Amino acid sequence: MSAFKRVQQWATFARTWHVFDCKWQDPYESAFIIKKYLMGLHKPIYHPMNDCGDVVVCINSRDIALRGDEWRKRAYFHHTGYPGGATWTLAWELHNKDPTMIIRKAVYRAMKGNLQRRHTMERLFIYPGEDVPDDIMQNVTNQIRQWRLVPTRLDHIPEEEVKKFPKIMEYPEDYVLK
Amino acid sequence: MSGLVKSSFSLLKRSIFSTSVRAIVTTKQLHVKEIREQTVGSTLVVEGVPVPSPRKDYLVRAENLVPVPEPLVKSEQPPCYMCALGLEVKHTDVLILSQFVRSDGCMLPRRITGLCRRQQKKIGKMVTMAQKAGLMINLTPKNCAKDPKKRYQHKKFNTYFDESTIFMKRIPKPWEKFRR
Ligand SMILES: [Zn+2]
Repeated sequence: MSAFKRVQQWATFARTWHVFDCKWQDPYESAFIIKKYLMGLHKPIYHPMNDCGDVVVCINSRDIALRGDEWRKRAYFHHTGYPGGATWTLAWELHNKDPTMIIRKAVYRAMKGNLQRRHTMERLFIYPGEDVPDDIMQNVTNQIRQWRLVPTRLDHIPEEEVKKFPKIMEYPEDYVLK
Repeated sequence: MSGLVKSSFSLLKRSIFSTSVRAIVTTKQLHVKEIREQTVGSTLVVEGVPVPSPRKDYLVRAENLVPVPEPLVKSEQPPCYMCALGLEVKHTDVLILSQFVRSDGCMLPRRITGLCRRQQKKIGKMVTMAQKAGLMINLTPKNCAKDPKKRYQHKKFNTYFDESTIFMKRIPKPWEKFRR
């Protein structure tokens, strides 16, 4: 094996570390994106028996966004195994208790249930804020593109820019400004 | 005969509610009024002074653009100024939506915005969406905490909306898209 081929072999089978910013992202939609990188589906050498999955670091999982009224409509079921041990926790209650749980469950659910799933999940790191330990952050070499644009709040835009922005609506001539 | 009665009624109505008419004006157009209160001696003088509109220099109209944009919905009637622009506005476009609200974040009525029925409904709903998502938190009533993170229960978390649900009579459940 030549020196070039050896390096190509390392580069092909080395694990890449990706970072994904969950700010204003839908966890159920971004789970399909994260899953692709976790399982290695984006690689041409993919095979179910081939251990080619990457590592994904999710940051800002506290700032995920759910669509419409899903925060108060989506319920998470758990049963302790004892009679009467069933609980239904609403999404916002679960997020209050553990801000990483919704995204973890979404990724877990997006993958097919087999023996490999638990091991693949071990390669997913989720952090509620932006502080990631240095020994994890120093491995990251790639950022995954977000599923939707992060919206900007009106009070975070400079006042001059709001004033100079092209206007569509004009007040009628005898309107009293309020 | 009935048409004559109807038109005379509408004339009467227009003479009373003069704000709904935007057709012909004798005064200088594109002015807004400002209410000023002065005390002259022992009398309080309240007057409405026309001042130039702050939006006059930045106004965009479809007929002034080159080339003229295609209206979103094709119809025989001339489109309103919003339809004529052919913009696809989302609820995150707060710089556009904030033009249609008062300083307390309340949507302006149709007689002031001058939109068509459909656009008024659409923009009104998108203003609600932007307010619920906390994107126009500075345009809220005075007693508001002005911070979306300080809201109550589920309202303190980020929410986004789908604009295609605006004109749906009933929003389909997530599992219904798999039904044949
Ligand atoms: Zn219109």
